[in-house]
Amino acid sequence: MTNDLTVVEEILSIKNLKKYFVKGREFSRQKETIRAVDGISFSITRGQTFVLAGESGSGKTTIARLILRALEPDSGEIFFDGTKITNDVSSLKKIRTECQMIHQDPYASIDPRMTVLDIVKEPLDIHNIGKSNKRRDLVFEALRDVKLEPDEIVSKYPHMLSGGQRQRVAIARAIATKPKLIIADEPVSMLDVSVRVGILELMRELQNKYGISFFYITHDLSTARYVGQTIFILYLGKIVEMGPINDVLSRPRHPYTQALLDSISEPTPDNLQKEKKIRINDPIDINVYQGCRFRARCPYAIEKCKQEPSLEQIDGQRSVACFVEIN
Amino acid sequence: MFAINDLIVQYQLRGKIVHAVDRVSFSLENNESLGIVGESACGKSTLGLAIIRSVMGGKIISGEILLDGQDILKMSDEEFTKNIRWKKIAMVFQGAMNSLDPVFSIKQQFEEILRTHDYSGNRLEMINEAIASVGLPSSVLNKFPHELSGGMKQRAVIAMALLLKPELVIADEPTTALDVLVQAQVLSLLKKLKKEGMSLVLISHDLGIISEIADKVAIMYAGKIVEFGTLQEVYSNPKHPYTKSLLESVPKIKGKSDLMSLKGNPPDLANPPEGCRFYDRCSQAMEKCRKDPQKTKTKSGYVSCWLYE
Repeated sequence: MTNDLTVVEEILSIKNLKKYFVKGREFSRQKETIRAVDGISFSITRGQTFVLAGESGSGKTTIARLILRALEPDSGEIFFDGTKITNDVSSLKKIRTECQMIHQDPYASIDPRMTVLDIVKEPLDIHNIGKSNKRRDLVFEALRDVKLEPDEIVSKYPHMLSGGQRQRVAIARAIATKPKLIIADEPVSMLDVSVRVGILELMRELQNKYGISFFYITHDLSTARYVGQTIFILYLGKIVEMGPINDVLSRPRHPYTQALLDSISEPTPDNLQKEKKIRINDPIDINVYQGCRFRARCPYAIEKCKQEPSLEQIDGQRSVACFVEIN
Repeated sequence: MFAINDLIVQYQLRGKIVHAVDRVSFSLENNESLGIVGESACGKSTLGLAIIRSVMGGKIISGEILLDGQDILKMSDEEFTKNIRWKKIAMVFQGAMNSLDPVFSIKQQFEEILRTHDYSGNRLEMINEAIASVGLPSSVLNKFPHELSGGMKQRAVIAMALLLKPELVIADEPTTALDVLVQAQVLSLLKKLKKEGMSLVLISHDLGIISEIADKVAIMYAGKIVEFGTLQEVYSNPKHPYTKSLLESVPKIKGKSDLMSLKGNPPDLANPPEGCRFYDRCSQAMEKCRKDPQKTKTKSGYVSCWLYE
């Protein structure tokens, strides 16, 4: 990789994106603001897989929905393939055809009343891609790309398919419009262990064949490492650490990243005798939006952490938002 | 001591018989914990439910479940409920944290268990002890389920299983649906309880989680245990091709990242094929495998595969 940033082509670039939600009913007095996405900036290089990792409630899915403009951002800018995404029809059409999404649950994300043919064809019909008599061929091509036998499967309904096959159908639907970027939101977490690898391999293959960039959203750092090149760690709406995935996972610089790594149980017999240590405290009751958001659970917290740390570059490609040096 | 011999559990589904647990046998020494691993629909939850005689909609056809030498399947329902259920064997059901009753406080739900089991001693003391053993403050007792986080609810459900001080606790996927950090905390709680002398039967699809708890491991495929042995032996020297491919399909955080994926799907348990049930997906299948494989003794357990005949 080159260090010269001007050469690197970016498929997606996000600048200072913000989205707050207000919790509490219209007439209730207690209102609480949730800063789901709070000033996030990043860019995704063409043809690579970027991982966004964090726990539930960290804002992962909100970011995905903001990119596809299923949600309106409070502020911030999104550039996709050089075009600024706003509410005008042409930019919306661009993002919604050239950027596709794979959802977590293949039991919920495909319509049980539609055949596989109709499911995969739907985006082509909606966006009017290809002549209507040629669309069937495009569907067949997409199904072959995801390693499903088109003749056997096109007339089936989702209930006749296994979890892995359903997720392949969902991926076929995502690649049917020949997208440049695919947002994959926990695409394997609902699948059986033995089926997961097949789906992850498929994503790699599609990337090599068509140069598709992937935005992989997950809480599972092990599968993240398998598919990704760069990782962002998200905590309560802020990026706390980012960098090349192998570096970040082998030498975490943020206490939260370290705790996430501590919590992983790899299948080795040594675990049985060892005590499981996770370097994290029970949360103390403080306003999480004052100072570092991880302060309430951080075992390394110091007085300075009452100020908010910004995401600083620490070496060539890595950045971390933390005042303490843990590694 | 705890042992299961030739257990068969079946469901009736649209006139078809589903062979969910098919001639399962294993035995544990005192204080040993077991991990049951397998994919969805392999029968692992049914096996867990059979141990506490609560297979809904299914039937235990034959076999023995021996607890301290006594066959719990021979007991009448009254006897089992009076002496065994929750008192000697308790269970943390899959998704139990979402089945707490929203209109009762946590304390009321604990009291209900004590009432159902005719507990006559100091109830509050028992409840406080159980709640403390899972690391929850006693203030949660006056709260309602919606006031607790996922991790706290899961701990409360575990405390419920511990309430009558059972010898054996069956935990079915106790950490799924929890966040990674919370998952690890629940896991270290289970480790602590095990250290204090409780035996666990942990049912999970996650080989990593099993490796934290299980002294012995049973690998289940399509209703059968295909390999059984100590954690050390099964993980470091797996024998059955299914065990091998499971272990090789887990992405790792460190080291090389070559993975093997398993092709195909498990067989339909309403119509299982003759012979080895892994036949269609096995890379080492031979002509012989069309017949039911025999159990071959290994150092610490057994493997059901013709390769080791």
